[in-house]
Amino acid sequence: MDYKQQVGVQSHVEQMGSVEDRSMDDLDDECLHSPGTDARKTQASDSNRQIPFSDKKLPLSDGFPIVGNKMTRNRIYRSIKTVVFSNKLNLLMPFGPLAILVHKLTASNGWVFFLSLLGITPLAERLGYATEQLAFFTGPTVGGLLNATFGNATELIISIYALKSGMIRVVQLSLLGSILSNMLLVLGCAFFCGGLVYHRKEQVFNKATAVVNSGLLLMAVMGLLFPAVLHYTHTERRVGKSELSLSRYSSCIMLVAYAAYLFFQLRSQNDHYSPINEEGSPHGDNSDNDEDEAPEISKWESMIWLTILTAWISILSDYLVDTIQGASEAWDLSIAFISVILLPIIGNAAEHASAIMFSMKDKLDISLGVAIGSSTQISMFGIPFCVVIGWIMGQEMDLNFQLFETATLFITVIVVAFFLQEGTSNYFKGLMLILCYLIVAASFFVHEDPTSTDQKKQPQT
Amino acid sequence: MKMDKVDYKGQIGVQSHVEMGPLDRAMDDLDDDCLYSSEMDAQKTQPILSNQRFLFSVLPVGGYKMTRNGVYKSIKTVVFSNKLNLLMPFGPLAIMVHKMSYSNGWVFFLSLLGITPLAERLGYATEQLAFYTGPTVGGLLNATFGNATELIISIYALKSGMTRVVQLSLLGSILSNMLLVLGCAFFCGGLVHYGKEQVFSKATAVVNSGLLLMAVMGLLFPAVLHYTHTERQVGKSELALSRFSSCIMLLAYAAYLVFQLKSQDDNYVPVVEEGSHNGEDEDDDEAPEISKWESIIWLAIMTAWISILSDYLVDTIEGASVAWNVPIAFISVILLPIIGNAAEHASAIMFAMKDKLDISLGVAIGSSTQISMFGIPFCVVIGWMMGREMDLNFQLFETATLFITVIVVAFFLQEGTSNYFKGLMLILCYLIVSASFFVHEDPSATGQSKLPKT
Repeated sequence: MDYKQQVGVQSHVEQMGSVEDRSMDDLDDECLHSPGTDARKTQASDSNRQIPFSDKKLPLSDGFPIVGNKMTRNRIYRSIKTVVFSNKLNLLMPFGPLAILVHKLTASNGWVFFLSLLGITPLAERLGYATEQLAFFTGPTVGGLLNATFGNATELIISIYALKSGMIRVVQLSLLGSILSNMLLVLGCAFFCGGLVYHRKEQVFNKATAVVNSGLLLMAVMGLLFPAVLHYTHTERRVGKSELSLSRYSSCIMLVAYAAYLFFQLRSQNDHYSPINEEGSPHGDNSDNDEDEAPEISKWESMIWLTILTAWISILSDYLVDTIQGASEAWDLSIAFISVILLPIIGNAAEHASAIMFSMKDKLDISLGVAIGSSTQISMFGIPFCVVIGWIMGQEMDLNFQLFETATLFITVIVVAFFLQEGTSNYFKGLMLILCYLIVAASFFVHEDPTSTDQKKQPQT
Repeated sequence: MKMDKVDYKGQIGVQSHVEMGPLDRAMDDLDDDCLYSSEMDAQKTQPILSNQRFLFSVLPVGGYKMTRNGVYKSIKTVVFSNKLNLLMPFGPLAIMVHKMSYSNGWVFFLSLLGITPLAERLGYATEQLAFYTGPTVGGLLNATFGNATELIISIYALKSGMTRVVQLSLLGSILSNMLLVLGCAFFCGGLVHYGKEQVFSKATAVVNSGLLLMAVMGLLFPAVLHYTHTERQVGKSELALSRFSSCIMLLAYAAYLVFQLKSQDDNYVPVVEEGSHNGEDEDDDEAPEISKWESIIWLAIMTAWISILSDYLVDTIEGASVAWNVPIAFISVILLPIIGNAAEHASAIMFAMKDKLDISLGVAIGSSTQISMFGIPFCVVIGWMMGREMDLNFQLFETATLFITVIVVAFFLQEGTSNYFKGLMLILCYLIVSASFFVHEDPSATGQSKLPKT
């Protein structure tokens, strides 16, 4: 990024003035997620930057920047600029505090919900960015683990807050919606746009990884299906308890499976499997890449920003979860529709745009990693993790997503697994996936969730 | 579908129209030929056609001997040149029986037999018309009118308010095409080409399987929504969702046609219903056998005849069910499609035995895709316009049947090869399905009364 090159050269006073004007123009071509190639462009500037940074590393690597040194303040400003001001999406950031303001001033739940949702979107993207930056410093293994775990940190944080409030149904629906939107909408848009751009030829992607992910998704469906069928056929040994114990046991199994999957991915990085990386940078795949990509903020900065962003997301999630019921009444939409369709679409906007952008650059493997990898992560890690957290909290979160949602997930996974198994993509497949998503969205629009209407919010623990 | 009877046709052009006698010869000549002609036959008739075309460039309204000649020749070409057309008299016979007696069972059976040759001729006329309209519109014609018979029957049933019969007959058509026709084609082809495995274009098979899965998805949601009693507005939500999904499915089908037509140059072999390669070199070899106006006229005549017989068919289906002591579900799902699709069935088997498995696949799976992604949503939209509450909720049993069948067939197709064992498995699956429907009493059909025709 040209902007970043100039950061290292000019003094910090000039930079403050030129930030807003220049960032807009420079960023027009840039994507919302910084891909590996962008970092490569900054390689030339790295040598410039590394000199000032290496000086500062000594005082800062040990402690927090408490000293009022001009250079330290310089550093903080630069950090803020790099992280906060360098992305077009961050225009939405003021919506966060605005949501809190509106909440305190009015009782309009609908507005608070909408504004906090808008406010979370850029934070989610920045969180991913900070995670990716931190991954540079921790080496490929831990970096991969970081990406794999924190890739969907936003959804997990929202879910944990919802669990605390006892809104188990919202947790289930929002996680389900995240899976559905990633598998159908994001993937469909990526295939469609990429297919339109590459009109003549068929784009190919790594069939092996797609098949492994499809297998994991099917296993997740299996884990979700048994509690639901058990409940629905009224064949539990002990009504009410069996289902919960089965869910908890299955969650542990699914977490073990996910751990094995990570282990398998990291071990076979030298082989022909290209690891599915959430944030769009093929980490560790090719050792040359590691040298080309350079981190843009230091290790401690990454961790501090990670903490700050997580805290911010937590605050906004709190408001989000509080007002979801009010928003549902205000907009006359079912809670199911808001949780399953609206929440994931807006929350995932950045990932969505990045997947489309990568497919238009004919890097379909990365798009697939963003879309299907995210789905796999939520279904095999996010959902079981929430069950376990609920177990710890004493909330009765189980894997019984009710028959309608489970059937939806089942048919969707089968359709997507079928589409992926060929290893090629074209605009027609993308269009079909998008149309399938429209059918799913329409179904949830007319779907009244029987359990969520009488679910009351428990006092926060 | 093309007319065969090469030798017979050779004689038409040469002899005068008075010699109708050689129909006996037609029997012997027809023994070796298939019911659907292949491209080879058309090549042999090429020299004669230039004469005919010259005669047929105008509507035969004048009283000239040559125009009457043209009409007779046309009738001969269309009506008398197919063994299946022996069944044609059954149509008028059905109407006679209906007027004379009250035997619903017989009227149903006879009209069904009467429709079968008309369906085949309709396909033939469509195919002939496709020659004159160019590959694009021709492909569209084949894609839309390929299952015109089922659509006409369905529209009549809709008018009578028998939405359940519509759903069941369309479902039965899909099931019979996917399992029975495909299974027989694989089986017979596999037996004939015993040593090797027959291959077909995997790409088209996969695209079609994907479309079938999407259709299942479209059908699944209203059914599950209804069955779990989770609609926002009971009764209305499901209908609204069905109508919205139908529009989406029609859109997907239109995109599929666009995609097919655009990638004709690429490696995709377009899935054509009637078995003639659309728009490739063979256009030069295939020549139409009747003129453009003749095709349109015959199309109209066939459609009218099929409509009349469909009316009787739909009227008497309940009576037939009572007379034969067989549930309506079984008649609609199993009997109606098997007999109605007899011609397509035979053609698919014939092409498989000639090792042209792609055409068989086009007939079988292409037909299923067409009905599921075009026929069913089209009927929902037509019902919407008519004010009938036709929706995509096919009830749980039927939806589950379609779901498992599509998965099984998609799985079988994805390998791209076929052998007699796969064919046998598909046929046996169909036997299981038909047995299930034999013992299945449809809860909603017994309480459905026929509305006065609007």
